[in-house]
Amino acid sequence: MGTLANRLTRGGRIGYTALVVWLRYEVVELWDKLRGRDPKERDLSPIHQRNADLIFATAVSMRGMLVKMCQIIGTRSDIFPREFVTTLSKCQDSLPPRDFETIREVVEADFAKPITEVFAEFDRTPVAAASLAQVHGARLSSGERVAVKVQYPDIEHIIATDLTASRRIAVIYQRFASNPLDFLPLLDELQKHLRLELDFCREVESANRIREFFADDDSVRVPEIYQSLSTRRVITMEFVSGAKVNDPEGLAAAGVDTRDLMDRLMRIFNRMILAYGFFHADPHPGNIFVNAGENGKPVFTLLDFGLAKQLPDGFGMGIFELMFSMMTFNESAMLRAFRELGFDTQKGDDESLLLIARRMISRSDTGTFQGEFTEEMTDEMFDAIRENPVVTVPTDFVLVARAFSLLSGIAHTLGQRANALNAMGPAPT
Amino acid sequence: MAEVAATNRLEFTFDELMTDDEYDEPMIADGVRCHGGYRDGKYVSPRGVVRRPAIESWRRQLANDEHPLVHIPDKYVPPNYPSVEQAKYLLQAGVVEPLTRSLTIISIVEGFGARIRDVVVPDLNVEIKEAIDGTALAHLTRGLFEAHARDEAGYRDQGGHKQMWEAARDIGLDKPTIPNDVLLRLMSGPPRGERKRLFPALSEEMEGMITMMANVLVIETFADNTFTWAEALLGDPEVSANPELAAHMVSCIASDEVPHVDYLTVALSEIRARTLITSDGSTELQGAQVVDAIFRRQLKGMATQRPRDNRERMRSEIHEAIDDAARAAAISQKFEDLDSGWEFPHQDDEELDVLLTPA
Repeated sequence: MGTLANRLTRGGRIGYTALVVWLRYEVVELWDKLRGRDPKERDLSPIHQRNADLIFATAVSMRGMLVKMCQIIGTRSDIFPREFVTTLSKCQDSLPPRDFETIREVVEADFAKPITEVFAEFDRTPVAAASLAQVHGARLSSGERVAVKVQYPDIEHIIATDLTASRRIAVIYQRFASNPLDFLPLLDELQKHLRLELDFCREVESANRIREFFADDDSVRVPEIYQSLSTRRVITMEFVSGAKVNDPEGLAAAGVDTRDLMDRLMRIFNRMILAYGFFHADPHPGNIFVNAGENGKPVFTLLDFGLAKQLPDGFGMGIFELMFSMMTFNESAMLRAFRELGFDTQKGDDESLLLIARRMISRSDTGTFQGEFTEEMTDEMFDAIRENPVVTVPTDFVLVARAFSLLSGIAHTLGQRANALNAMGPAPT
Repeated sequence: MAEVAATNRLEFTFDELMTDDEYDEPMIADGVRCHGGYRDGKYVSPRGVVRRPAIESWRRQLANDEHPLVHIPDKYVPPNYPSVEQAKYLLQAGVVEPLTRSLTIISIVEGFGARIRDVVVPDLNVEIKEAIDGTALAHLTRGLFEAHARDEAGYRDQGGHKQMWEAARDIGLDKPTIPNDVLLRLMSGPPRGERKRLFPALSEEMEGMITMMANVLVIETFADNTFTWAEALLGDPEVSANPELAAHMVSCIASDEVPHVDYLTVALSEIRARTLITSDGSTELQGAQVVDAIFRRQLKGMATQRPRDNRERMRSEIHEAIDDAARAAAISQKFEDLDSGWEFPHQDDEELDVLLTPA
């Protein structure tokens, strides 16, 4: 009965939010038509903003899938208005924690013994809390300090409920709206992401795989995972600390030589994206710690591999060719790269694709593409794509562009550039 | 634009230096429209109608003033590795991947040559004592760097050397599978050390520009052996899918590179013939002293340890690929028997220096 009530409450809240959002658009459109105005000429920015704020507030209070959905909307600048993207991308994984007893239940259920037999110490207060899990400090019987990421026990159920409700609402919306957006592919994508993120065994595999990529590189660290103390809902890993990558004061205090920090960080992401085709797709500053290595050279610790992504064969080369052709103003090569990456247009015309590239380049501060996908450029690219719905954009490209754009944001806080093409040669000593 | 008219002048506009000859038909490389074209059945390089005679004019002026041209001694130009015989043997033995990788990396590195347009050029009228009117130097940012960049990576609707190398590879090796690790190999290699300034009194831009020009000139000169190698290999009917066309593509690229070597040689020689002013304006340095020292350092680095390391890396990649083939031991032995036995010069070799020839 409790479950049914919970399902009804969540479904009702999601339905109410969706209805308000929809009505805000419908009412102004109707009003414009009644007054003989063309609704397309209205500036919808204020309504977009109010709706984004409402969705944000609902997600933060209901957590679970809605937070993840907001995060995904926050990455899809190619579909949603800028106000949605800006507001909902702030829906970071930073939420009020669940009580310790809930966490203890999961640990004890997964290891089939009391938490005190699994860990010598377990901090009752978490270090961080997110939409799907929270992280606690703990100590092993061997004395080592570890971080334990524990998934919320009811999260799979909440997600199933929310997804079902969202699908129903999307179907109803598409039946009644005059010019509806197709949300079902987005929900499919969300479901796929969530399935992956909820499987901590996969996250462990991703972390191990990326650690292996950098086995010969002292400047990259991925926390060691304690396999015997990890399950599908619990990950026990080495406890790491360090300065946040976008915190100049913290970096200085840690004695990190920041002169070519971004160049080094770009090499790491170049290797994952362009060379290995498997990458950490969420390089926001909270997921990258920096410590001082030999002579103060930065040592990067990558965290949270829930969103690690496998790219199709040849995709890295396609991305490289696109950036390269943009840098060299070679439009015919640009078109070939767009096509290789899976971009398409309804009529198969080239002009729409070239227009996107030209608009993107026009937003760089030099008027040329030097190898950095700045936030302004990616915003411009997605604006162009949104205004030109005949263009199909591969999801993998969106994730890569977002990763490069996040890195560019980090670079700007440090007064540096996130130039992927400059970082193509051998690493500096 | 008549070529004869251009040869009597020393000043040219940007647009003139970008002007193509009139072609009967364009160059289409494996289905991709590239620069240059054909006139009377012969390939004619791009942006040459004015650029060619302009460079010749500037060279002649140096000769008239009795200034020599910088020149890289042939004996230090390393042969391509693997040799034609070794590479041919690999193809015959079915070991195609290392050569595909090598040709792909050549195409990418050629394309990166377009970054020459991003070189920061100082105010030469301030940092060079003598006038530079009517020189190649004065035209570096007025078309020479840009034309070079467009030649290497293509521009707008035309491909450049990057695309032409890809075409030569695909035509000669019959569209081979590109190894997944090409970009990884490009990013690997020995770490890049911090370059020490040789002339800190000069502006950073001036020393950087000369260093880059010397660097590119050495690369372009060394590339001559790569062209000869690729033309011979891809033009060999015993191993090439289309020997005539593949070799022709390489020869077109080689002929496009001639003006690059020429203008860089002339411009560096013009600096040698002048006096450089330090950034605080207090001291003068002879251009010859600066250019020769920078050139010597670049040449020593690029003729000794670096190609030796590259060769060793390439050799181990080839043996890795051979190990995957049937009869690995026999192929490996025969491959080594075909080695040219080239000895790299030692860094301390005093003769390892730039030579001068009459302009």
